[in-house]
Amino acid sequence: MLQGLIQLGNELSKFLTPQLIFDVLWSTQLGIIVGMLPGLTATMGVALMTTLTYKLASSHAVLILICMYIGAIFGGSRTAILINIPGTPANAATTVDGNPLARQGKAGPAMGIATTGSFLGSVFGMIMLAIFTPIIGNAALSFHSFEYFWLTIFGIVICGSLTAPKDPLKGWISGFLGLFIATIGMEAMHAYRRFSFGNVDLAGGIQLLPAMIGVFGFSEVLMVMKQPAIKIVSNKIEKVIPSLKDILKYWKTIIRSGFIGTIIGAIPGVGEDIGAWVSYDFAKKASKEKEKFGKGSIEGLIAAETGNNAAIPGAIIPVLSLAVPGSAPAAVLLGAMLIHGIRPGPLLMIENPSFVYQVVSMILLATCAMFILGLSLIRVFVKILIIPRQKLMPVVFSLCVIGSYALSAKMFDILVMTVFGLIGYAMKEMDYPVAPLVLGIILGDLLDSNLRRSLILTNGNIIPFFTRPISFVFFLFIIFTIFSQMKWFRNFLKVLGLIIKKQFLKAKTN
Amino acid sequence: MKEENMNKADFFTSIFLFLLGLIVFIVSIRMPTFREVGAHPYSAPGIVPGILGIIIAFMGAILFFRSIIHKGYKIQISSQGLIKFFKNDSIKRLLIALFLSIFYVILLGKIDYFLLTAIYIFIFIISFEFNIKKSIFSQRKILFFALLEAIFIAASISYLFRYLFLVTLP
Repeated sequence: MLQGLIQLGNELSKFLTPQLIFDVLWSTQLGIIVGMLPGLTATMGVALMTTLTYKLASSHAVLILICMYIGAIFGGSRTAILINIPGTPANAATTVDGNPLARQGKAGPAMGIATTGSFLGSVFGMIMLAIFTPIIGNAALSFHSFEYFWLTIFGIVICGSLTAPKDPLKGWISGFLGLFIATIGMEAMHAYRRFSFGNVDLAGGIQLLPAMIGVFGFSEVLMVMKQPAIKIVSNKIEKVIPSLKDILKYWKTIIRSGFIGTIIGAIPGVGEDIGAWVSYDFAKKASKEKEKFGKGSIEGLIAAETGNNAAIPGAIIPVLSLAVPGSAPAAVLLGAMLIHGIRPGPLLMIENPSFVYQVVSMILLATCAMFILGLSLIRVFVKILIIPRQKLMPVVFSLCVIGSYALSAKMFDILVMTVFGLIGYAMKEMDYPVAPLVLGIILGDLLDSNLRRSLILTNGNIIPFFTRPISFVFFLFIIFTIFSQMKWFRNFLKVLGLIIKKQFLKAKTN
Repeated sequence: MKEENMNKADFFTSIFLFLLGLIVFIVSIRMPTFREVGAHPYSAPGIVPGILGIIIAFMGAILFFRSIIHKGYKIQISSQGLIKFFKNDSIKRLLIALFLSIFYVILLGKIDYFLLTAIYIFIFIISFEFNIKKSIFSQRKILFFALLEAIFIAASISYLFRYLFLVTLP
């Protein structure tokens, strides 16, 4: 423990140079602005920033990306409170109580509470990241190809279920399409070009970043242009710094939401939006002031903002320990780490143990910058919201184009970005979540190599896939996740629960 | 999207997914196994995409039957419906943004990057801000600021990538 703290102190001290502090401040502020502008998401911001920082040293680039990530998820709360539109999907739950507070003339305190909630959520998640990443990483060292195979399927199934709660089938379709897309191009075992049909560019495979910039950037440009213009309602922003009493009153909600947010964030591909909604839902159920929820509850606002920001370090936990992203922006972060030669995964704790502490230091710096910037300069930066979309969106698209091109100077990547933008737009229109698609593209290689390796090891026998303890647990989780979406299974569980309850009461009375 | 339109969309997508899955499966089983060079049969490159193809086709089939139950196959396309669709303001905005962006991508590499980006941004802005019914003179401010933004942004992006990130522009 003490050794860990010393190492953290050492890594943190390396970042405390004027140059890096300046970078932390501007990148966090840029993140806040990106998050504030409806249509610009944290994923898009991190993806575009990856292309702008790829010439920097790895730790420097990752620091800027984490600042952008944390700033953007927090920045979306401003729009959610002021204009009832979540700046990023992660802030949807913030609108429920944030905007009613603004309409009651409490926009300033609401933003102050959101800032404090986000700060505490990030700090809570950061502590969890520091504790659990080495533990999960060490546990993952015992994973073999069988476990990795199930891990990828588990990630796709759970991500599909949670990102498409209305229709999980569409979430799973999206995920499996992503896995298929990842198989395009030259495979690792025999260097065979799959689905390239003689095209040299396709033989190189679909690169993650252009695909992500398309799915989260270009598709969003089209979505924003399709929607009616946002009307900005002027709100007087007075007192911003929240009272300590308000915060201390809801300490239980903060800890609960921080915990839930981190856990949800750590589930592959699920992300901050679900973290915020689940935290909000739990806070509502546990609250003594349930009637205030939806009408401007400070507790609801704190729960949503603590939940979504706690999900950020939560989403980074599986990135570092398993090389599996917990959310869409974390997927870009993973891609950026790979571009910079960092190899996240179970071996990270052996090959580069100090990197986990570096990431903790980066999160701490970004969180502090977010807190300071969040409580100051509010009046100035809120004015950014008046930029009309027709002026902003062509700039975003130009950046999407040059961003996809810059990484390997290939026109094909611009084509990939455009095609994936169109696919992403069509998917969003038809209620298919795009996060499982991206997760599939990332995990496809892991699935391909590990499934084939396992089958070679067992000579085609599939029994070991179910008899190894960790594999069996993954398998049970997958089956339960799929079946829990079916009515008959839910009814069966209800009946089973009632029978067990009856038996228990009988046994008690006897 | 409305529930009834969603069922129609699901009907078409399910057919597409089923066919895609099937094609992926067929292409996968036709891939070489490399047995002749002594490779293990389970290392064949077609195994994983083949399985994925079956899963995608299976899920497409479920979606198909579900859309049939919800009468998604009842596709009523009328000329009036189409006219109404294209007269919708949201669709107009979407199509303008889409076509301008696609043209921009098509022309990349054929025209100087700075010039093309500036033209794209300028046309994008005036497509939404300029009113054809009003005189150009009364809208000179719109034109001026659109031109200013277009030149400034195109120059900034070109400079940033060309000289700071040392990227050869498309």
